[in-house]
Amino acid sequence: MKNAAVSGRTRGSFSLSGRRATSVVALLPFVIFLAIFAVYPLYELVRLSFQETEVLDGEFFSAFNGLDNFKKIPDDPLAINSIKVTLLFTTLCVILTLVAGTVGAMMVNSSRIFKSAARNIFVWPAVVAPVVVSVMWLLILDPTMGLVNKILETLGQEPQIWLNSKTGAFISVVVVDVWHWTPVVFLFIYAGLNGINQEILEAGRVDGATEGQLIRRIILPILLPTIAVIAVLRTIMSIKAFDEMYLLTKGGPDGATSLISLQIREIFVDVLDFGYASALSLCIVAILGLIVGIAYSLRRKNRSR
Amino acid sequence: MTMEKSAQKSKINITLELAIFITIVITLIPIIWIAILAFLPNKSIIGSNFDFSFWLGNFRTLADPGQNFVRQIFNSLIITFGTVILTLAIGSGSGYSLSKLKPPKWATTPVFILASFLPIVPPITLVPGIYVTLTNLNLLGSVTGLVLVNTVFNLPFAILMIKSYFDQIPDELREAALVDGASERRVFFSVLLPLAKPGLGAVAIYVAIMAWNEFLMGLIMTTGGGAAPLTVGIASLVQDYEITFGQMSASGFVAAIPIIILTAVASRQIVSGLTAGAVKS
Repeated sequence: MKNAAVSGRTRGSFSLSGRRATSVVALLPFVIFLAIFAVYPLYELVRLSFQETEVLDGEFFSAFNGLDNFKKIPDDPLAINSIKVTLLFTTLCVILTLVAGTVGAMMVNSSRIFKSAARNIFVWPAVVAPVVVSVMWLLILDPTMGLVNKILETLGQEPQIWLNSKTGAFISVVVVDVWHWTPVVFLFIYAGLNGINQEILEAGRVDGATEGQLIRRIILPILLPTIAVIAVLRTIMSIKAFDEMYLLTKGGPDGATSLISLQIREIFVDVLDFGYASALSLCIVAILGLIVGIAYSLRRKNRSR
Repeated sequence: MTMEKSAQKSKINITLELAIFITIVITLIPIIWIAILAFLPNKSIIGSNFDFSFWLGNFRTLADPGQNFVRQIFNSLIITFGTVILTLAIGSGSGYSLSKLKPPKWATTPVFILASFLPIVPPITLVPGIYVTLTNLNLLGSVTGLVLVNTVFNLPFAILMIKSYFDQIPDELREAALVDGASERRVFFSVLLPLAKPGLGAVAIYVAIMAWNEFLMGLIMTTGGGAAPLTVGIASLVQDYEITFGQMSASGFVAAIPIIILTAVASRQIVSGLTAGAVKS
Protein backbone atom coordinates (compact mmCIF):
# COMPACT_ATOMS: atom_id res chain seq x y z
CA MET A 1 0.00 0.00 0.00
CA LYS A 2 2.72 2.40 1.03
CA ASN A 3 4.61 1.36 -2.04
CA ALA A 4 1.74 2.24 -4.35
CA ALA A 5 1.37 5.65 -2.76
CA VAL A 6 5.06 6.36 -3.17
CA SER A 7 5.25 5.43 -6.80
CA GLY A 8 1.91 7.15 -7.37
CA ARG A 9 3.45 10.44 -6.32
CA THR A 10 6.59 10.07 -8.38
CA ARG A 11 5.36 8.46 -11.56
CA GLY A 12 1.73 9.44 -11.98
CA SER A 13 -1.44 7.50 -11.48
CA PHE A 14 -0.63 4.83 -14.06
CA SER A 15 2.27 3.41 -12.13
CA LEU A 16 0.26 0.89 -10.09
CA SER A 17 -1.18 -0.66 -13.21
CA GLY A 18 2.28 -0.17 -14.73
CA ARG A 19 3.87 -2.31 -12.06
CA ARG A 20 1.11 -4.86 -12.46
CA ALA A 21 1.69 -5.00 -16.17
CA THR A 22 5.44 -5.35 -15.65
CA SER A 23 4.87 -8.15 -13.18
CA VAL A 24 2.78 -10.08 -15.67
CA VAL A 25 5.10 -9.40 -18.61
CA ALA A 26 8.05 -10.70 -16.55
CA LEU A 27 6.22 -13.97 -15.97
CA LEU A 28 5.19 -14.39 -19.60
CA PRO A 29 8.38 -15.98 -21.02
CA PHE A 30 8.21 -18.70 -18.36
CA VAL A 31 4.54 -19.42 -19.03
CA ILE A 32 5.00 -19.43 -22.81
CA PHE A 33 8.04 -21.70 -22.55
CA LEU A 34 6.27 -24.18 -20.35
CA ALA A 35 3.11 -24.03 -22.42
CA ILE A 36 5.08 -25.06 -25.52
CA PHE A 37 7.40 -27.64 -23.96
CA ALA A 38 5.41 -29.00 -21.02
CA VAL A 39 1.69 -28.29 -21.32
CA TYR A 40 1.52 -29.14 -25.01
CA PRO A 41 3.46 -32.41 -24.59
CA LEU A 42 1.15 -33.33 -21.71
CA TYR A 43 -1.88 -32.55 -23.87
CA GLU A 44 -0.32 -34.66 -26.63
CA LEU A 45 0.17 -37.47 -24.10
CA VAL A 46 -3.49 -37.39 -23.09
CA ARG A 47 -4.61 -37.27 -26.72
CA LEU A 48 -2.39 -40.17 -27.78
CA SER A 49 -3.48 -42.30 -24.84
CA PHE A 50 -7.05 -42.43 -26.16
CA GLN A 51 -5.96 -43.32 -29.67
CA GLU A 52 -4.69 -46.24 -31.63
CA THR A 53 -1.71 -44.89 -33.57
CA GLU A 54 -0.09 -46.81 -36.36
CA VAL A 55 3.01 -45.97 -38.32
CA LEU A 56 2.84 -46.90 -42.00
CA ASP A 57 5.63 -45.78 -44.32
CA GLY A 58 6.69 -43.08 -41.87
CA GLU A 59 3.15 -41.64 -41.72
CA PHE A 60 1.09 -41.66 -38.54
CA PHE A 61 -2.48 -42.88 -38.62
CA SER A 62 -4.57 -42.34 -35.52
CA ALA A 63 -8.05 -43.40 -34.53
CA PHE A 64 -9.92 -42.86 -31.29
CA ASN A 65 -10.18 -46.09 -29.33
CA GLY A 66 -11.57 -44.95 -26.00
CA LEU A 67 -10.08 -46.63 -22.95
CA ASP A 68 -8.62 -49.60 -24.84
CA ASN A 69 -5.02 -48.54 -24.16
CA PHE A 70 -5.67 -48.31 -20.43
CA LYS A 71 -7.45 -51.65 -20.36
CA LYS A 72 -4.37 -53.28 -21.84
CA ILE A 73 -2.19 -52.39 -18.83
CA PRO A 74 -3.45 -55.01 -16.32
CA ASP A 75 -3.06 -57.77 -18.94
CA ASP A 76 0.48 -56.83 -19.91
CA PRO A 77 2.96 -58.95 -17.93
CA LEU A 78 5.85 -56.66 -18.93
CA ALA A 79 4.12 -53.56 -17.59
CA ILE A 80 3.10 -55.32 -14.37
CA ASN A 81 6.64 -56.61 -13.95
CA SER A 82 8.18 -53.17 -14.40
CA ILE A 83 5.71 -51.62 -11.97
CA LYS A 84 6.73 -54.25 -9.41
CA VAL A 85 10.43 -53.68 -10.14
CA THR A 86 9.98 -49.92 -9.83
CA LEU A 87 8.12 -50.29 -6.51
CA LEU A 88 10.79 -52.53 -5.01
CA PHE A 89 13.59 -50.36 -6.40
CA THR A 90 11.99 -47.17 -5.07
CA THR A 91 11.31 -48.61 -1.63
CA LEU A 92 14.86 -49.94 -1.22
CA CYS A 93 16.59 -46.88 -2.66
CA VAL A 94 14.56 -44.36 -0.67
CA ILE A 95 15.10 -46.19 2.63
CA LEU A 96 18.79 -46.93 2.03
CA THR A 97 19.73 -43.43 0.85
CA LEU A 98 17.75 -41.83 3.69
CA VAL A 99 19.48 -43.96 6.31
CA ALA A 100 22.94 -43.64 4.75
CA GLY A 101 22.59 -39.89 4.18
CA THR A 102 21.29 -39.20 7.68
CA VAL A 103 23.92 -41.34 9.41
CA GLY A 104 26.62 -39.81 7.19
CA ALA A 105 25.52 -36.26 7.97
CA MET A 106 25.50 -36.94 11.71
CA MET A 107 28.92 -38.54 11.53
CA VAL A 108 30.43 -35.67 9.55
CA ASN A 109 28.77 -33.13 11.83
CA SER A 110 30.54 -34.51 14.90
CA SER A 111 33.82 -35.23 13.12
CA ARG A 112 36.92 -33.21 13.93
CA ILE A 113 39.55 -34.41 11.46
CA PHE A 114 37.66 -35.14 8.24
CA LYS A 115 34.82 -32.65 8.58
CA SER A 116 35.65 -30.26 5.74
CA ALA A 117 37.02 -32.97 3.43
CA ALA A 118 34.02 -35.25 3.91
CA ARG A 119 31.54 -32.40 3.58
CA ASN A 120 32.99 -31.69 0.14
CA ILE A 121 33.71 -35.21 -1.13
CA PHE A 122 30.39 -36.73 -0.06
CA VAL A 123 28.66 -34.43 -2.54
CA TRP A 124 30.72 -35.49 -5.57
CA PRO A 125 28.78 -38.57 -6.73
CA ALA A 126 25.61 -36.49 -7.15
CA VAL A 127 27.19 -34.13 -9.68
CA VAL A 128 28.59 -36.87 -11.93
CA ALA A 129 26.46 -37.42 -15.03
CA PRO A 130 24.25 -40.51 -14.65
CA VAL A 131 25.70 -41.82 -17.91
CA VAL A 132 29.21 -41.54 -16.49
CA VAL A 133 28.02 -43.16 -13.26
CA SER A 134 26.93 -46.21 -15.23
CA VAL A 135 30.27 -46.27 -17.08
CA MET A 136 32.05 -46.11 -13.71
CA TRP A 137 30.08 -49.04 -12.37
CA LEU A 138 30.39 -51.05 -15.56
CA LEU A 139 34.14 -50.73 -15.07
CA ILE A 140 33.70 -52.04 -11.52
CA LEU A 141 31.20 -54.84 -12.22
CA ASP A 142 32.49 -56.06 -15.59
CA PRO A 143 33.11 -59.84 -15.50
CA THR A 144 36.55 -59.73 -17.17
CA MET A 145 38.22 -56.49 -16.14
CA GLY A 146 35.92 -55.16 -13.38
CA LEU A 147 37.47 -54.04 -10.12
CA VAL A 148 35.34 -56.35 -7.95
CA ASN A 149 36.35 -59.46 -9.85
CA LYS A 150 39.99 -58.35 -9.94
CA ILE A 151 39.90 -58.13 -6.16
CA LEU A 152 38.11 -61.50 -5.89
CA GLU A 153 40.74 -63.08 -8.14
CA THR A 154 43.56 -61.66 -6.04
CA LEU A 155 41.90 -63.18 -2.99
CA GLY A 156 41.67 -66.51 -4.80
CA GLN A 157 37.87 -66.39 -5.14
CA GLU A 158 35.72 -67.26 -8.15
CA PRO A 159 34.87 -64.22 -10.30
CA GLN A 160 31.14 -63.44 -10.53
CA ILE A 161 29.04 -62.24 -13.45
CA TRP A 162 27.20 -59.59 -11.45
CA LEU A 163 24.96 -58.11 -14.09
CA ASN A 164 23.91 -61.42 -15.68
CA SER A 165 21.87 -62.89 -12.83
CA LYS A 166 18.50 -61.36 -11.96
CA THR A 167 19.28 -60.82 -8.29
CA GLY A 168 22.85 -59.69 -8.98
CA ALA A 169 21.72 -57.12 -11.52
CA PHE A 170 18.97 -55.78 -9.26
CA ILE A 171 21.27 -55.47 -6.25
CA SER A 172 23.90 -53.79 -8.44
CA VAL A 173 21.40 -51.24 -9.68
CA VAL A 174 20.31 -50.45 -6.12
CA VAL A 175 23.94 -50.11 -4.98
CA VAL A 176 24.67 -47.75 -7.87
CA ASP A 177 21.62 -45.65 -7.05
CA VAL A 178 22.56 -45.48 -3.36
CA TRP A 179 26.12 -44.42 -4.27
CA HIS A 180 24.83 -41.83 -6.72
CA TRP A 181 22.04 -40.19 -4.70
CA THR A 182 22.89 -40.54 -0.99
CA PRO A 183 24.75 -37.19 -1.36
CA VAL A 184 21.45 -35.39 -1.94
CA VAL A 185 20.08 -36.69 1.37
CA PHE A 186 23.40 -35.93 3.06
CA LEU A 187 23.32 -32.31 1.85
CA PHE A 188 19.87 -31.58 3.23
CA ILE A 189 20.31 -33.38 6.54
CA TYR A 190 23.69 -31.76 7.06
CA ALA A 191 22.17 -28.33 6.44
CA GLY A 192 19.35 -29.24 8.81
CA LEU A 193 21.78 -30.36 11.53
CA ASN A 194 23.65 -27.09 11.28
CA GLY A 195 20.42 -25.21 11.74
CA ILE A 196 19.78 -26.84 15.13
CA ASN A 197 20.25 -24.52 18.03
CA GLN A 198 23.29 -25.76 19.98
CA GLU A 199 21.85 -24.52 23.25
CA ILE A 200 19.05 -27.09 23.12
CA LEU A 201 21.61 -29.90 22.80
CA GLU A 202 23.75 -28.34 25.53
CA ALA A 203 20.75 -28.23 27.82
CA GLY A 204 20.10 -31.90 27.09
CA ARG A 205 23.71 -32.76 27.91
CA VAL A 206 23.59 -30.82 31.17
CA ASP A 207 20.49 -32.80 32.08
CA GLY A 208 22.56 -35.95 31.63
CA ALA A 209 21.27 -37.24 28.30
CA THR A 210 23.55 -39.59 26.39
CA GLU A 211 24.46 -38.85 22.75
CA GLY A 212 22.08 -41.62 21.64
CA GLN A 213 19.23 -40.07 23.60
CA LEU A 214 20.04 -36.65 22.17
CA ILE A 215 19.76 -38.08 18.65
CA ARG A 216 16.53 -39.96 19.29
CA ARG A 217 14.72 -37.43 21.48
CA ILE A 218 15.93 -34.09 20.12
CA ILE A 219 17.81 -34.22 16.82
CA LEU A 220 15.62 -36.65 14.85
CA PRO A 221 12.32 -34.99 15.85
CA ILE A 222 13.73 -31.61 14.80
CA LEU A 223 14.91 -33.05 11.49
CA LEU A 224 11.68 -34.91 10.79
CA PRO A 225 10.11 -32.28 8.46
CA THR A 226 13.36 -32.13 6.44
CA ILE A 227 13.51 -35.92 6.26
CA ALA A 228 9.90 -36.03 5.08
CA VAL A 229 10.63 -33.54 2.28
CA ILE A 230 13.64 -35.54 1.09
CA ALA A 231 11.71 -38.80 1.29
CA VAL A 232 9.19 -37.38 -1.18
CA LEU A 233 11.98 -35.96 -3.36
CA ARG A 234 13.83 -39.28 -3.41
CA THR A 235 10.63 -41.20 -4.16
CA ILE A 236 10.03 -39.03 -7.22
CA MET A 237 13.67 -39.37 -8.28
CA SER A 238 13.56 -43.17 -8.01
CA ILE A 239 10.34 -43.52 -9.96
CA LYS A 240 11.82 -41.23 -12.66
CA ALA A 241 15.18 -43.09 -12.75
CA PHE A 242 16.28 -43.87 -16.28
CA ASP A 243 19.79 -42.97 -17.42
CA GLU A 244 21.87 -45.25 -15.19
CA MET A 245 19.87 -48.42 -15.87
CA TYR A 246 19.54 -47.67 -19.57
CA LEU A 247 23.27 -48.23 -19.96
CA LEU A 248 24.04 -50.53 -17.06
CA THR A 249 21.48 -53.28 -17.60
CA LYS A 250 19.05 -52.09 -20.32
CA GLY A 251 16.32 -53.39 -18.00
CA GLY A 252 17.66 -56.94 -18.10
CA PRO A 253 18.36 -59.69 -17.49
CA ASP A 254 14.85 -60.96 -18.15
CA GLY A 255 13.22 -57.73 -16.97
CA ALA A 256 14.82 -57.85 -13.52
CA THR A 257 15.81 -54.16 -13.66
CA SER A 258 13.15 -52.97 -16.09
CA LEU A 259 12.14 -49.75 -14.36
CA ILE A 260 8.96 -48.10 -15.58
CA SER A 261 10.78 -45.33 -17.50
CA LEU A 262 12.80 -47.94 -19.41
CA GLN A 263 9.64 -49.87 -20.20
CA ILE A 264 7.86 -46.74 -21.45
CA ARG A 265 10.86 -45.83 -23.62
CA GLU A 266 10.83 -49.27 -25.14
CA ILE A 267 7.14 -49.09 -26.04
CA PHE A 268 7.55 -45.56 -27.46
CA VAL A 269 10.78 -46.03 -29.37
CA ASP A 270 11.12 -49.73 -30.19
CA VAL A 271 7.55 -51.11 -30.22
CA LEU A 272 6.17 -47.78 -31.54
CA ASP A 273 2.84 -48.32 -29.78
CA PHE A 274 2.30 -44.64 -28.96
CA GLY A 275 -1.21 -45.05 -27.60
CA TYR A 276 -0.29 -47.71 -25.09
CA ALA A 277 2.96 -46.01 -24.05
CA SER A 278 1.04 -42.77 -23.46
CA ALA A 279 -1.62 -44.53 -21.40
CA LEU A 280 1.06 -46.13 -19.24
CA SER A 281 2.87 -42.77 -18.93
CA LEU A 282 -0.32 -41.04 -17.90
CA CYS A 283 -0.90 -43.59 -15.12
CA ILE A 284 2.62 -43.00 -13.79
CA VAL A 285 2.19 -39.20 -13.92
CA ALA A 286 -1.12 -39.60 -12.08
CA ILE A 287 0.48 -41.76 -9.39
CA LEU A 288 3.33 -39.28 -8.92
CA GLY A 289 0.83 -36.42 -8.78
CA LEU A 290 -1.10 -38.31 -6.13
CA ILE A 291 2.02 -38.91 -4.01
CA VAL A 292 3.01 -35.24 -4.13
CA GLY A 293 -0.58 -34.15 -3.52
CA ILE A 294 -0.87 -36.30 -0.41
CA ALA A 295 2.55 -35.18 0.86
CA TYR A 296 1.62 -31.55 0.30
CA SER A 297 -1.70 -31.79 2.13
CA LEU A 298 -0.08 -33.66 5.03
CA ARG A 299 2.50 -30.89 5.30
CA ARG A 300 -0.17 -28.22 5.31
CA LYS A 301 -2.10 -30.05 7.99
CA ASN A 302 1.05 -30.34 10.11
CA ARG A 303 1.83 -26.67 9.70
CA SER A 304 -1.61 -25.43 10.62
CA ARG A 305 -1.55 -27.56 13.75
CA MET B 1 29.94 -24.99 31.23
CA THR B 2 32.00 -23.45 28.46
CA MET B 3 34.96 -25.52 29.57
CA GLU B 4 32.91 -28.65 29.54
CA LYS B 5 31.69 -27.77 26.05
CA SER B 6 35.15 -27.22 24.69
CA ALA B 7 36.37 -30.42 26.32
CA GLN B 8 33.56 -32.33 24.63
CA LYS B 9 34.26 -30.66 21.30
CA SER B 10 37.97 -31.24 21.20
CA LYS B 11 37.71 -34.93 22.04
CA ILE B 12 38.53 -36.93 18.93
CA ASN B 13 36.47 -40.06 18.44
CA ILE B 14 38.80 -42.48 16.64
CA THR B 15 36.10 -44.98 15.60
CA LEU B 16 34.02 -42.18 14.12
CA GLU B 17 36.94 -40.67 12.20
CA LEU B 18 37.93 -44.09 10.89
CA ALA B 19 34.35 -44.80 9.74
CA ILE B 20 34.26 -41.46 7.91
CA PHE B 21 37.62 -42.16 6.31
CA ILE B 22 36.40 -45.54 5.03
CA THR B 23 33.21 -43.94 3.69
CA ILE B 24 35.31 -41.32 1.88
CA VAL B 25 37.37 -44.10 0.28
CA ILE B 26 34.22 -46.02 -0.79
CA THR B 27 32.78 -42.80 -2.23
CA LEU B 28 35.94 -42.16 -4.20
CA ILE B 29 36.64 -45.69 -5.50
CA PRO B 30 34.52 -45.48 -8.68
CA ILE B 31 35.98 -42.05 -9.47
CA ILE B 32 39.57 -43.10 -8.84
CA TRP B 33 39.10 -46.35 -10.78
CA ILE B 34 37.82 -44.60 -13.91
CA ALA B 35 40.66 -42.07 -13.61
CA ILE B 36 43.25 -44.87 -13.49
CA LEU B 37 41.76 -46.79 -16.42
CA ALA B 38 41.58 -43.63 -18.52
CA PHE B 39 45.40 -43.58 -18.58
CA LEU B 40 45.90 -47.28 -19.38
CA PRO B 41 46.09 -49.09 -22.73
CA ASN B 42 43.40 -51.73 -23.28
CA LYS B 43 45.76 -54.68 -23.00
CA SER B 44 46.90 -53.79 -19.50
CA ILE B 45 43.28 -53.13 -18.49
CA ILE B 46 42.19 -56.60 -19.54
CA GLY B 47 45.46 -58.32 -18.57
CA SER B 48 45.89 -59.77 -15.13
CA ASN B 49 49.18 -58.17 -14.13
CA PHE B 50 48.55 -54.59 -13.34
CA ASP B 51 51.25 -52.12 -14.26
CA PHE B 52 50.37 -48.47 -14.34
CA SER B 53 51.85 -46.33 -17.06
CA PHE B 54 50.67 -42.81 -17.61
CA TRP B 55 49.46 -43.44 -21.17
CA LEU B 56 47.60 -40.76 -23.13
CA GLY B 57 46.66 -42.97 -26.08
CA ASN B 58 42.97 -43.18 -25.11
CA PHE B 59 42.63 -39.42 -25.19
CA ARG B 60 44.59 -39.21 -28.45
CA THR B 61 42.25 -41.75 -30.10
CA LEU B 62 39.19 -39.87 -28.85
CA ALA B 63 40.55 -36.56 -30.14
CA ASP B 64 41.12 -38.05 -33.58
CA PRO B 65 39.33 -35.95 -36.21
CA GLY B 66 37.55 -39.08 -37.44
CA GLN B 67 35.83 -39.40 -34.06
CA ASN B 68 32.90 -37.22 -33.00
CA PHE B 69 34.22 -36.78 -29.49
CA VAL B 70 35.57 -33.23 -29.78
CA ARG B 71 32.47 -32.17 -31.66
CA GLN B 72 30.32 -33.63 -28.88
CA ILE B 73 32.25 -31.79 -26.17
CA PHE B 74 31.70 -28.62 -28.16
CA ASN B 75 27.96 -29.38 -28.46
CA SER B 76 27.71 -30.01 -24.73
CA LEU B 77 29.52 -26.75 -23.96
CA ILE B 78 27.14 -24.75 -26.17
CA ILE B 79 24.11 -26.53 -24.69
CA THR B 80 25.39 -25.83 -21.16
CA PHE B 81 26.16 -22.14 -21.72
CA GLY B 82 23.00 -21.57 -23.73
CA THR B 83 20.84 -23.22 -21.09
CA VAL B 84 22.45 -21.28 -18.22
CA ILE B 85 22.06 -17.92 -19.98
CA LEU B 86 18.49 -18.53 -21.10
CA THR B 87 17.44 -19.94 -17.72
CA LEU B 88 18.96 -16.98 -15.86
CA ALA B 89 17.45 -14.46 -18.27
CA ILE B 90 13.94 -15.85 -17.96
CA GLY B 91 14.32 -16.96 -14.35
CA SER B 92 15.60 -13.67 -12.95
CA GLY B 93 12.74 -11.71 -14.51
CA SER B 94 10.09 -14.14 -13.36
CA GLY B 95 11.65 -14.74 -9.96
CA TYR B 96 11.88 -10.99 -9.37
CA SER B 97 8.29 -10.50 -10.42
CA LEU B 98 7.04 -13.23 -8.07
CA SER B 99 9.08 -11.87 -5.18
CA LYS B 100 8.75 -8.10 -5.47
CA LEU B 101 6.13 -7.00 -8.00
CA LYS B 102 3.12 -8.79 -6.48
CA PRO B 103 1.59 -10.03 -9.73
CA PRO B 104 -2.16 -10.74 -9.76
CA LYS B 105 -3.28 -14.20 -8.65
CA TRP B 106 -4.50 -15.23 -12.08
CA ALA B 107 -0.93 -14.85 -13.34
CA THR B 108 0.89 -16.52 -10.44
CA THR B 109 -1.42 -19.53 -10.08
CA PRO B 110 -0.46 -21.11 -13.45
CA VAL B 111 3.21 -20.34 -12.73
CA PHE B 112 3.14 -22.14 -9.38
CA ILE B 113 1.13 -25.07 -10.74
CA LEU B 114 3.54 -25.54 -13.65
CA ALA B 115 6.64 -25.01 -11.52
CA SER B 116 5.59 -27.63 -9.02
CA PHE B 117 4.10 -30.09 -11.50
CA LEU B 118 6.82 -30.28 -14.16
CA PRO B 119 9.57 -31.56 -11.81
CA ILE B 120 7.49 -34.61 -10.88
CA VAL B 121 6.77 -35.66 -14.46
CA PRO B 122 9.18 -38.31 -15.78
CA PRO B 123 10.86 -36.70 -18.82
CA ILE B 124 10.30 -39.85 -20.90
CA THR B 125 6.54 -39.24 -20.82
CA LEU B 126 6.98 -35.83 -22.48
CA VAL B 127 9.17 -37.22 -25.25
CA PRO B 128 6.48 -37.65 -27.97
CA GLY B 129 5.10 -34.14 -27.46
CA ILE B 130 8.52 -32.50 -27.35
CA TYR B 131 9.53 -34.47 -30.44
CA VAL B 132 6.53 -33.12 -32.34
CA THR B 133 7.17 -29.57 -31.08
CA LEU B 134 10.83 -29.58 -32.10
CA THR B 135 9.91 -31.02 -35.51
CA ASN B 136 7.36 -28.25 -36.03
CA LEU B 137 9.89 -25.60 -34.98
CA ASN B 138 12.42 -27.22 -37.32
CA LEU B 139 14.81 -27.63 -34.39
CA LEU B 140 14.91 -31.42 -34.15
CA GLY B 141 18.47 -32.66 -33.82
CA SER B 142 19.84 -29.16 -33.32
CA VAL B 143 21.82 -27.77 -30.42
CA THR B 144 19.33 -24.86 -30.19
CA GLY B 145 16.51 -27.35 -29.70
CA LEU B 146 18.37 -29.01 -26.83
CA VAL B 147 19.08 -25.61 -25.25
CA LEU B 148 15.34 -24.89 -25.25
CA VAL B 149 14.39 -28.30 -23.83
CA ASN B 150 17.05 -28.15 -21.12
CA THR B 151 15.91 -24.65 -20.20
CA VAL B 152 12.34 -25.85 -19.76
CA PHE B 153 13.35 -28.63 -17.38
CA ASN B 154 15.55 -26.32 -15.29
CA LEU B 155 13.29 -23.27 -15.16
CA PRO B 156 10.85 -24.37 -12.42
CA PHE B 157 13.54 -24.98 -9.83
CA ALA B 158 15.58 -21.97 -10.98
CA ILE B 159 12.62 -19.61 -10.63
CA LEU B 160 11.75 -20.82 -7.15
CA MET B 161 15.39 -20.48 -6.07
CA ILE B 162 15.78 -17.00 -7.58
CA LYS B 163 12.50 -15.93 -5.98
CA SER B 164 13.78 -17.01 -2.58
CA TYR B 165 16.98 -15.00 -3.14
CA PHE B 166 15.01 -11.86 -4.02
CA ASP B 167 12.82 -12.49 -0.97
CA GLN B 168 15.90 -12.02 1.20
CA ILE B 169 16.53 -8.52 -0.19
CA PRO B 170 14.49 -5.97 1.81
CA ASP B 171 11.64 -4.24 -0.03
CA GLU B 172 12.84 -0.87 1.32
CA LEU B 173 15.73 -0.87 -1.14
CA ARG B 174 13.37 -1.08 -4.07
CA GLU B 175 11.08 1.57 -2.62
CA ALA B 176 13.97 3.93 -1.92
CA ALA B 177 15.19 3.64 -5.50
CA LEU B 178 11.67 4.30 -6.79
CA VAL B 179 11.37 7.39 -4.58
CA ASP B 180 14.64 8.63 -6.05
CA GLY B 181 12.91 8.52 -9.41
CA ALA B 182 14.37 5.37 -10.91
CA SER B 183 12.13 3.48 -13.33
CA GLU B 184 11.05 -0.12 -12.60
CA ARG B 185 13.51 -1.32 -15.20
CA ARG B 186 16.40 0.62 -13.69
CA VAL B 187 15.57 -0.56 -10.19
CA PHE B 188 15.70 -4.13 -11.42
CA PHE B 189 18.87 -3.91 -13.51
CA SER B 190 20.96 -1.49 -11.43
CA VAL B 191 19.83 -2.12 -7.86
CA LEU B 192 18.30 -5.54 -7.24
CA LEU B 193 19.90 -7.73 -9.88
CA PRO B 194 23.45 -6.93 -8.71
CA LEU B 195 22.41 -7.73 -5.12
CA ALA B 196 21.10 -11.12 -6.18
CA LYS B 197 24.34 -12.03 -7.95
CA PRO B 198 25.52 -14.67 -5.44
CA GLY B 199 22.16 -16.39 -5.68
CA LEU B 200 22.19 -16.25 -9.46
CA GLY B 201 25.70 -17.74 -9.36
CA ALA B 202 24.48 -20.73 -7.35
CA VAL B 203 21.59 -21.22 -9.77
CA ALA B 204 23.99 -20.96 -12.73
CA ILE B 205 26.25 -23.66 -11.30
CA TYR B 206 23.33 -25.96 -10.59
CA VAL B 207 21.80 -25.48 -14.05
CA ALA B 208 25.21 -25.94 -15.71
CA ILE B 209 25.66 -29.30 -13.98
CA MET B 210 22.16 -30.42 -14.96
CA ALA B 211 22.56 -29.37 -18.60
CA TRP B 212 26.06 -30.85 -18.96
CA ASN B 213 24.80 -34.17 -17.53
CA GLU B 214 21.52 -34.38 -19.46
CA PHE B 215 21.13 -37.59 -21.45
CA LEU B 216 17.59 -38.65 -22.39
CA MET B 217 16.63 -35.62 -24.50
CA GLY B 218 20.01 -35.67 -26.25
CA LEU B 219 19.50 -39.35 -26.98
CA ILE B 220 16.05 -39.03 -28.51
CA MET B 221 16.11 -35.53 -30.04
CA THR B 222 19.36 -36.01 -31.99
CA THR B 223 20.45 -38.66 -34.44
CA GLY B 224 23.68 -39.21 -32.48
CA GLY B 225 27.16 -38.80 -33.93
CA GLY B 226 28.37 -35.25 -34.46
CA ALA B 227 25.00 -33.74 -33.55
CA ALA B 228 24.83 -35.36 -30.12
CA PRO B 229 25.92 -34.04 -26.72
CA LEU B 230 28.84 -35.67 -24.89
CA THR B 231 26.69 -37.91 -22.68
CA VAL B 232 25.11 -39.52 -25.74
CA GLY B 233 28.56 -39.96 -27.26
CA ILE B 234 29.76 -41.78 -24.14
CA ALA B 235 26.71 -44.03 -24.21
CA SER B 236 27.45 -44.96 -27.83
CA LEU B 237 31.00 -45.90 -26.83
CA VAL B 238 29.56 -48.25 -24.20
CA GLN B 239 27.16 -49.87 -26.65
CA ASP B 240 29.83 -50.34 -29.30
CA TYR B 241 30.41 -53.94 -30.33
CA GLU B 242 34.12 -53.47 -30.02
CA ILE B 243 34.36 -52.65 -26.34
CA THR B 244 37.25 -50.31 -25.67
CA PHE B 245 37.41 -49.92 -21.92
CA GLY B 246 40.25 -47.40 -22.14
CA GLN B 247 38.32 -45.02 -24.37
CA MET B 248 35.17 -45.52 -22.32
CA SER B 249 37.07 -44.53 -19.19
CA ALA B 250 38.78 -41.58 -20.86
CA SER B 251 35.50 -40.18 -22.17
CA GLY B 252 33.81 -40.59 -18.78
CA PHE B 253 36.83 -38.97 -17.13
CA VAL B 254 36.58 -35.95 -19.45
CA ALA B 255 32.86 -35.58 -18.71
CA ALA B 256 33.10 -36.02 -14.94
CA ILE B 257 36.31 -34.30 -13.85
CA PRO B 258 35.44 -30.69 -14.79
CA ILE B 259 32.14 -30.99 -12.91
CA ILE B 260 33.79 -32.53 -9.85
CA ILE B 261 36.41 -29.77 -9.79
CA LEU B 262 33.67 -27.15 -10.13
CA THR B 263 31.85 -28.78 -7.22
CA ALA B 264 34.96 -28.97 -5.07
CA VAL B 265 35.73 -25.28 -5.67
CA ALA B 266 32.19 -23.95 -5.43
CA SER B 267 30.79 -26.43 -2.93
CA ARG B 268 29.71 -23.74 -0.50
CA GLN B 269 27.61 -21.91 -3.12
CA ILE B 270 26.10 -25.13 -4.42
CA VAL B 271 25.17 -26.33 -0.96
CA SER B 272 23.63 -23.05 0.15
CA GLY B 273 21.91 -22.65 -3.19
CA LEU B 274 20.38 -26.10 -3.31
CA THR B 275 19.27 -26.29 0.28
CA ALA B 276 17.92 -22.74 0.43
CA GLY B 277 15.85 -23.23 -2.69
CA ALA B 278 14.49 -26.64 -1.91
CA VAL B 279 13.75 -26.27 1.77
CA LYS B 280 11.72 -23.15 1.06
CA SER B 281 9.72 -24.61 -1.79
